[in-house]
Amino acid sequence: MTPAIFPSRRAWRGLGLLLAACTLAVRLPAASPAPSADVEAGRKLFRDLCSNCHGHEGAGAMAPSLQRPRLTYAPDEATLRVVIADGIGGRGMPRVRRWSEKELRELVAYVQWLGAVPATPLPGDPAKGREVFNRVGCATCHVVNGQGGTLGPELTAIGRMRGPDYLREAIVNPGATLPKGTLPVPGRGYDEYLPVVAVTRAGKEIKGVRLNEDLMTIQIRDEQSQFHSLRKSELTRLDKLTGTSLMPNLSAQLAPGELDHLIAYLASLQGQP
Amino acid sequence: MSTLRLLFLAVLAAVLPVSAQVTADRIRHADREPQNWLTYAGNYQSHRHSALTQINRQNVAGLKTAWVYQIRQPGIIETSPLVADGIMYLTEPPSTVTAIDVRSGRAIWSYTPTIPRDIIIIGSPQVNRGVALLDGLVYVGTVSGHLIALDAVNGTVRWDVTVEDNRKAYYLTLAPLALDGKIIVGVSGAEAGIRGFVDAYDAKTGRRLWRTFSVPGPGEPGNETWGGDSWKTGGGSTWLTGSYDPELNLLYWTTGNPGPDWNGDVRPGDNLYTCSVLALDPATGKLKWHFQFTPHDTHDWDATETVVLFDATINGRPRKLLTQTNRNAFYYVLDRVTGEFLSATQYAKQTWAQGIDAKGRPILVPGQDPTSDGKLAYPDVQGASNWPSPSYSPQTGLFYQAAREMGTIYFKGEAEYVPGRAFMGGGARILTGDDSYGAIRALEATTGKLKWEHKLLSAGWTSLLSTAGGLVFGGTEEGNFLALDAETGKLLWDTQLGGAVRGIPISFAVDGKQYVAISAGYALFVFGL
Ligand code: HEC
Ligand code: HEC
Repeated sequence: MTPAIFPSRRAWRGLGLLLAACTLAVRLPAASPAPSADVEAGRKLFRDLCSNCHGHEGAGAMAPSLQRPRLTYAPDEATLRVVIADGIGGRGMPRVRRWSEKELRELVAYVQWLGAVPATPLPGDPAKGREVFNRVGCATCHVVNGQGGTLGPELTAIGRMRGPDYLREAIVNPGATLPKGTLPVPGRGYDEYLPVVAVTRAGKEIKGVRLNEDLMTIQIRDEQSQFHSLRKSELTRLDKLTGTSLMPNLSAQLAPGELDHLIAYLASLQGQP
Repeated sequence: MSTLRLLFLAVLAAVLPVSAQVTADRIRHADREPQNWLTYAGNYQSHRHSALTQINRQNVAGLKTAWVYQIRQPGIIETSPLVADGIMYLTEPPSTVTAIDVRSGRAIWSYTPTIPRDIIIIGSPQVNRGVALLDGLVYVGTVSGHLIALDAVNGTVRWDVTVEDNRKAYYLTLAPLALDGKIIVGVSGAEAGIRGFVDAYDAKTGRRLWRTFSVPGPGEPGNETWGGDSWKTGGGSTWLTGSYDPELNLLYWTTGNPGPDWNGDVRPGDNLYTCSVLALDPATGKLKWHFQFTPHDTHDWDATETVVLFDATINGRPRKLLTQTNRNAFYYVLDRVTGEFLSATQYAKQTWAQGIDAKGRPILVPGQDPTSDGKLAYPDVQGASNWPSPSYSPQTGLFYQAAREMGTIYFKGEAEYVPGRAFMGGGARILTGDDSYGAIRALEATTGKLKWEHKLLSAGWTSLLSTAGGLVFGGTEEGNFLALDAETGKLLWDTQLGGAVRGIPISFAVDGKQYVAISAGYALFVFGL
């Protein structure tokens, strides 16, 4: 189970399992520098408060890997302090909480230390993964570099935003990893791409993904990419199919090893520079 | 109903001169002039109820926008406007005051205090909840810790005092309360180890008349409820406007969480008078009685929510009551003469108390305190209720409130006190998402029994206004603004305002026409028939 950006109750339980599973598999390459006391204290804070999004040891999950020598928003210590203290507005990186000066120093030390951890190489081959991606029809629903269908989210930069464990889960268990909204309003953690079924008074059934919702209305894009604006009082049924996805589980069509290739390909998608 | 309609007409006939001043006597009898909104919660009893009936159940479906005022600097609007004799006094974030002509929606003056860029605000966004009016002056508290008196004619500063040093993280977001000759304020800052207090200032000169600490010092009763020196950084902010009973001459002020928020180990004891309501003598600030809702709080469940005063018969006995939907998910009914606890009824999901005992003390569920790896508990860290105003309708006898149904994972962490820095001892992560929700609820005011509810999509920040037209107005986080039937909760009218509804609704009238005002996003909207 990969926890989601704003953990739901379900995901929170899953997180416990994930953490338990990960402690069995701590992978700290022999080459990484010995952690200082600050790094150790920062690691503990990170485990409790950041790893649900950034993954175990910051290896990336729903949120980007921090095991990178140069971070996009936090290229130096001063900007790293600001990012951890205030979050990144409108980008899904919250101000997790207020820190004491000591805690902030420890988190900064730990994230800097993560930057020196050499990234674990992925087992698959991106070139082979790209062939698999085209063969099983992922592109019918996903745009990569301007090409592809629009039912699912664009994947052009998916390797920069998500970690490999999350990508694996997205393929084998699509309903568990719905992308989350990042805007402050409504932005209260609504799943994006939540499948919904609405039935109008006239008996017409509309199945698609929720684009937005307020108390009175809902906006849906159906499987043919048609847009529907509906007033709830005019519906006889509105089901939110939480825990499901319009993305099919295609892992049965993959030969052994092909899942690794696919993940390596997705991880290589870093977007336009 | 018809008598109220007559009252409405009578009041409109008694046209007041434009230069009329808002006196303490007028505020005291605010119910006699429902065309105005003279104090934060509408009257000293904090009913947030309008006696106007022109907009009512029958015609509310025809409500239309009269005008919109856009604030000039983005920020969250959590304010209750005041209206006196055709002029609206609106605060814009962080601490700007603007006077607006209610006939046209045009600003006639605006005052922005100098706010240093490096002010210390820990625990809330930079918001302001409104002004107080008294004898020709307009009073505003600022996020830099000042209390300022402006001339109502043109917004010039008559006096400006520092309530407490912002370098130590004291700041003001509340609307001041104007009593006869005095301005009462409290402070925010308990996320930074302040020691809270309630202050009274001479309305004419700004001289401080008294200060009553919410955390007693050595030798004072209550200090023994703080282990060691923990009282010094004990918090107990006083950050929302209190209520006042002119007949008993008692001022009711509420207090917030103890500091540090989530690590209670460093402050053993009940931590008086945090998470409490204090009954104060407005002449001296002397404490007459107190009631603590959440002793030794470890979840940041401030008791600052608006307390509502009304009289009713309970068990055959007429009582003067004080009630509150507390952040801890219980609705409390107290006798406001003595502070005697009468009842507490759960109004939202909670996991921390088995119940409330006969004296009003919670019977705890073991193991609900924050832990270093996180403990899930209900209600959420912002509470089942918070600063948004409830409403009480003398017409229906119902207490209206928008409950927040959400859990939080509470973390215990280290607490090291450095002046002007966060002093919270841990953290909290709210469980937003499709499982959490909100609900506008109508409770029987004397018992807390649920009469009806209107579910909302998410746990939000809407205040409520009830009117004698049989309506309750409220909003949603997604920008809907709604009129519900005050008796049944049925939806009668709605519109989409394009931004979260965080403003506090009021109603007023001018030239014989009733209006409802609400802020959402970056604008104030005024509706009429
Ligand atoms: C709710 C999920 C979530 C949590 C919790 C979270 N983050 Fe993030 N974080 C994100 C997302 C999403 C981004 C990427 C924003 C982007 O690139 O647009 C991010 C970005 C970052 C970045 C910048 C990365 C870069 O490339 O510049 C840093 C540093 C960071 N987070 C540190 C932390 C730390 C430390 C914590 C714990 C205190 C934490 N985050 C908790 C979601 C989260
Ligand atoms: C029928 C359309 C469809 C097909 C075919 C499809 N997807 Fe998806 N995909 C979706 C939708 C809809 C979502 C968003 C909901 C979700 O996350 O499950 C999604 C989400 C994803 C995500 C997560 C994106 C994020 O930001 O969280 C990844 C990764 C992904 N798909 C990869 C693939 C791969 C690889 C394939 C081919 C094996 C594939 N998809 C085939 C529709 C599709």
